[in-house]
Amino acid sequence: MQGSTSAGQFVFEQRAAEPVPSVLYDEHIKRAGKSHMAAFAGYLMPLWYSSIAEEHRAVRERAGLFDCTHMGVLEVSGQDAGRFLDIVSTNRVQDLKIGRARYGYILDAAGNVLDDIIIYRRGETSFMVVVNAANEPKIKFYLHELQEGRIPVAGATDVPALRASVRDLRDPNRSQDRRVDLALQGPAAIDALAKLANDPSVVERIAELKSFAFVEECLAGVDCLICRTGYTGSNVGVELFIDPEQAPCLWDAILDAGKPLGVLPCGLGARDSLRIEAGLPLYGHELDGKFNLSPFEAGYGWAVKLDKEFFIGQAAMRRVAETYDMEVTRIEMPATRGIRPVRPDDAVLDESGACIGWVLSAAKVEEKQYALAYIERKAAQEGTKRGVYYLARSQSQAEQGRRQAVERKEKLDADLAAVVVSRFARF
Amino acid sequence: MAVASGVLYTKDHEWARVEGDIVIVGITDYAQEQLGEVVFVELPQVGKDFGVHQECAVVESSKAASDVYSPVAGQVTEVNTNLETKPELINQDCYGAGWICKLKITDKKSLDSLMDAKKYEEYLKTL
Repeated sequence: MQGSTSAGQFVFEQRAAEPVPSVLYDEHIKRAGKSHMAAFAGYLMPLWYSSIAEEHRAVRERAGLFDCTHMGVLEVSGQDAGRFLDIVSTNRVQDLKIGRARYGYILDAAGNVLDDIIIYRRGETSFMVVVNAANEPKIKFYLHELQEGRIPVAGATDVPALRASVRDLRDPNRSQDRRVDLALQGPAAIDALAKLANDPSVVERIAELKSFAFVEECLAGVDCLICRTGYTGSNVGVELFIDPEQAPCLWDAILDAGKPLGVLPCGLGARDSLRIEAGLPLYGHELDGKFNLSPFEAGYGWAVKLDKEFFIGQAAMRRVAETYDMEVTRIEMPATRGIRPVRPDDAVLDESGACIGWVLSAAKVEEKQYALAYIERKAAQEGTKRGVYYLARSQSQAEQGRRQAVERKEKLDADLAAVVVSRFARF
Repeated sequence: MAVASGVLYTKDHEWARVEGDIVIVGITDYAQEQLGEVVFVELPQVGKDFGVHQECAVVESSKAASDVYSPVAGQVTEVNTNLETKPELINQDCYGAGWICKLKITDKKSLDSLMDAKKYEEYLKTL
C-alpha cells in the first residue's frame, strides 16, 4: 500500500488479497449454499438466497435483512473530532445533534471522491463513521496520513495538532464496543424488531425514530445502535450496529421473528437492484468511477456545503458546481419477456439518435428495467423520451457490426425506448 | 445440483444429448444456478455451422450475459423459440423444456472430448 499526492490527488494502491468470509458466512452457507457466494470488496458474500426478484419484492412489500458486516465502521473521538471531520468531509458535522446521522463525502484536495460516508454523532466528542467496504483501507490510510501531516492541508494547517483519534470499530483486537452493520429494510422492519424487544418503551423509541436518527437499545439480548438509515430507498428501514460475535445470533433472531411477517434474507443482487430502482449512487459507478463523477453530477450537491468554513476539496467543488454539464439520471425501460437487459456502457440516445451519454448501472424490477445513466443535463428533463443502444454482448455480435463502445454525439438506431423518470424514488 | 444422466457435458457447463446424428444442446443446472433468473436468450440462426467450442447462443440474467459454446461441430437444425417469450424455462427445466438448439453433427469425433455424467459430477466437485 502506498499513498502520495500530486496536485492534490490522493493515490492509493490497494493490495489484492484473498477474499475472507464475512462474520455471517456460516449463516449464508446454511441459507444460500456455496454456489451463490461471490467475492465482493474482499469478502465472501451471498449474491442471493431465493432469487434477486423475490428478495427485491420482499423489501418493497415486507422487509429484507442484509449482511452489511463488510462495511467499514470507524470511530473518530476526542476534543477536536468534530472539527477534524468537518475538515475531511463535505457535509456539516459540528452542528450535528447527538443521536443524529448525516450523509457526506470524503474528497481529496483535487476534488476526487474517495468515498461516500455516513457520520453518526454518539456524543459531544464521539462520532461513528460508516465507509464503503471497498474503500475502508484507503480511508483509514488517508485519515492517518492527514493526521501525521504527510498530506498537507492548505486550508487547515493545524490538522496534525487536532485532538482526534481514529479507531476501527470492527478491529478484532478491541475488547469492547465493536460494531458491524446489519440492515433491515422495508415496511415491516419495525414490526419485526418489535418482537425482539422485551420492553414496549424500547419499541416506541425505535418506532419514533426520524430518518437519520438513532438510539442505542437492547434487542434479543444484544446491544444495538439502531439507526433509521439504509440504502434501498425504503421509507421504513434501519441499520443495526452490533458486536460481530453477536451478529449470527441477531441475524437468526431477526429472521425467526420476521418469518410470519415475510422477512427474507437478501443478497448483494437485491441490494443492487433496490438501490438502482431508488436512484441511489454506488461508489465506483455513479460516484468517482470511470467518469470521475462528483457529488454534483451524482445529484448530491446538497451534501457538499460550499459555504462551510473549509473542507478538503472545497475549491475544486466550487469549480465543478459552476461547470458540470452531465449528470446521473434515472431512466425507465420495459422488461417484458424477450427484451434484452440494458447493461453498463450501453449508449443513451436523444430523439435524433445521437449519443448523449451512457448507462452506469441497470436492474430489472418486475416488468420494468431501471438504469442510472450519465447524460447531458440539458437532455435529462423528467418525462423526456430517450433511446438505448445495446453494445455487443458477444464476439459474434461484434463481428456482425454491433458496436463495443459508443462516443458522445455518434448517431445510432435505438434498440429500446426509454423515458427519463424522477431522479429518486421512495417506497 | 442436478446432473442428468444420459447426456454429455463440457467444462463450460453445456450439455449435449445425442439422438442419432442430432445433438440437442442446453446449459446445465450448475450454469443456470450461477446465472440466476434468466431474462433473455439469443438463439443461433437455423442453418448456421458451428465448430467445437464456438459461441452459438447468449444467455442473459439480470446480472450477467453468458456465452453458450457449441459442444460439438454441427449445423443448427432447430432452435427452441419458446425461450424467446419464456427464457425462464432454462431455470425451470434446463435439461428438458429449456433446451437451446439442435445441431446436426458434422464431426462425430468432436463427441470424444465431452464428459459423461459421472465425470462431470467429479468435475463440479473441483470447482
